[in-house]
Amino acid sequence: MTVPWTEKYRPKRISEIVGNKAAVESFLKWMSGWETGRPSKKAALLYGPAGVGKTSTVYAYASERGYDVVEVNASDTRTKDKIESIIGSASQFSTIEGSRKKIILVDEVDGVDTKADSGGISALVKVVSETRIPIVLVANDPWDQRLAPLREKCEMIKYTRIHKASIASHIKKIADMEKLDISVDVIRRLAEKSEGDIRAAINDLQALASMGTVSQLPEAIGERDREEDIFKALAAVFNARNLKTAMTAINNVEMEPGELLTWVLDNAVEVYREPRHLSEALEYLARADMVLQKILKTQRWGLLKYFYALVSGVGLGGVGSRGMRFTYPSKIRYMAQSRARRETIDSISRKIAERCHLSTYKARKEMLPYVALLVRKDRDVAGFFGFDSSEVKYLAGEP
Amino acid sequence: MLPWVEKYRPRSLDEIVDQEEVVRSLKNILTTKSVPHMLFAGPPGTGKTATAHAFARDLYGPNYISDGLFIEINASDERGIDVIRERVKTYARSVPFSGIGFRILLLDESDQLTDAAQHAFRRTMEQFSNTCRFILVANYSNRIIEPIQSRCAVMRFRPLPKEGVKEMLTRIAGSEGLKVDDKAIDAVYDFSLGDMRKAINILQAASTISKAVDEKTIYTVMGLVEKGVVRRMLELSHSGEFKTARDLLRELIYIKGYNPSDIVSSISREINDMEIPDKDKIVLLDALGEVDYRLAIGGTPEVQLLAFLAKLASLRAVAR
Repeated sequence: MTVPWTEKYRPKRISEIVGNKAAVESFLKWMSGWETGRPSKKAALLYGPAGVGKTSTVYAYASERGYDVVEVNASDTRTKDKIESIIGSASQFSTIEGSRKKIILVDEVDGVDTKADSGGISALVKVVSETRIPIVLVANDPWDQRLAPLREKCEMIKYTRIHKASIASHIKKIADMEKLDISVDVIRRLAEKSEGDIRAAINDLQALASMGTVSQLPEAIGERDREEDIFKALAAVFNARNLKTAMTAINNVEMEPGELLTWVLDNAVEVYREPRHLSEALEYLARADMVLQKILKTQRWGLLKYFYALVSGVGLGGVGSRGMRFTYPSKIRYMAQSRARRETIDSISRKIAERCHLSTYKARKEMLPYVALLVRKDRDVAGFFGFDSSEVKYLAGEP
Repeated sequence: MLPWVEKYRPRSLDEIVDQEEVVRSLKNILTTKSVPHMLFAGPPGTGKTATAHAFARDLYGPNYISDGLFIEINASDERGIDVIRERVKTYARSVPFSGIGFRILLLDESDQLTDAAQHAFRRTMEQFSNTCRFILVANYSNRIIEPIQSRCAVMRFRPLPKEGVKEMLTRIAGSEGLKVDDKAIDAVYDFSLGDMRKAINILQAASTISKAVDEKTIYTVMGLVEKGVVRRMLELSHSGEFKTARDLLRELIYIKGYNPSDIVSSISREINDMEIPDKDKIVLLDALGEVDYRLAIGGTPEVQLLAFLAKLASLRAVAR
């Protein structure tokens, strides 16, 4: 059986934790309060993005200093009673002479659903006030209003994303221990893709190793397969005789839903000539967009099937697409081509913002159109804002 | 030539137009020199930032900025609360060499900060309150968290009344040698409502067309500034040039960076002026209302507005 590398290489000692030195420092300081019998706060709330070492800090500390960790997942326990019984009994046992010292770890505190777990938070507050052993709470976002009473009781310790370079060197270490033949370039890409989430980076590395592809660039492989996929799928969707074939085609595309929507939308505009069909297709896609936004907001991925159904709906216009050539989304091209103009406008807006005590957005929206008129009338005004010649040209509407 | 919004920015509290209550409170504070943290709340263009500057100048003298006694940070431009706190720390750490013993930090558009960032900022406020006073500026005071509000004296700015705007525009017209008739001022007010910045901008834009400004000049200017792209986009969709219309939509969203809700309101104004049957107008306004709602709950602007343009395109096809 394969052990997940995130477990296999979980730090055993405090010194092995990657990044977040200041947070680890604060945690040690807080625990030393417990060691001397006078903790500043009875609980610590470790918060920050996923995969940056919050839980690992607790386990590393425990293994180094001889503690047992009693882990409770706050979003698993459904009721106040459960939280109290689990945490409460662990807290009692600690007082028995001779037993190993304990730390209680409550994960996903911000995941407690107040409606489902009636009194979950207030139970935690109560347990924290009464505990005789250290309680560590973990959360991604601790600023939710309903966590306010809990925040007051806790030492707040903030974790931030881990620097790319640290992630890269850590991955290199694991790769060496696993005797993987991996290039610097692949490591760099993995580190970049992780966005500061070291757990994700390790998981990606393991996935690559299991596919036996660590010597090649991961994106390059993925990309090539994907393109073929999407063009085939588009043809199938726009030629579909019925919803079922269209849905099967769409379901088989491996692509982020948002990206998929862009591909289908931009190609629908190319394919449909008849305005009525175009309008129908675009309305399906607009609704698909709403479903997707709802999913992203509530994380209810079960709704994804409705998104796919609506995206497939574009194929029901009944034109067929034989002989049609599908293209890259024109949006990607548009964004690339307009980059210089966008940068000019950004720079103009920043200069206006500075001179007129505004944010760049307000400068762009409320001042820029007027400033453009003034520049057309009298170039001198450019001096006041410090515009360079390309910016003046843009404002004056010259090519 | 200077932008008039800068040229005629008030230099002292005495030059602030309207906002009598706020000015009175601030003058009281000036006499006692005991300055609290303050929250300036009110709609755009009512003089919040200008008043903060005028107050600082009255308190510290004309070199208030170059003496390092006043700094302005825009919350919506700074990347994240950590950057802001870092800037605040470096600025507020030392005691200034002035008789007063504290500096002022203006945090503009502070309602753009997330709740988490505001909590973090609150601690920073407390940490440095000996050497630094904070003036937070916001459009909506209810977007500022309670703990910050309760630490601040709240000054409420009201939309400027027509007389206030008229007084200012007449003063500017006088010193710029401009003739502006009453109807023109009415028109400026209709476009700007209580937003002085917009009113002054419109007047200056009009002055680039003619030294005698009347109602027509104002409409011409507003046509140049506001209409144009949105109207052309609708016309192109209607006449079947869908892809060109889409380019304009993309220009509005991605290049000009317009707020989608602003695009929707321009479209709704344009629909009324379009030469299409009233029945079609209703159909379009109905669809636009749906778009407006969807954008408000998180829909993607390009996707939603493009579907609307397709709807407009299909109307013509049906009519044929």
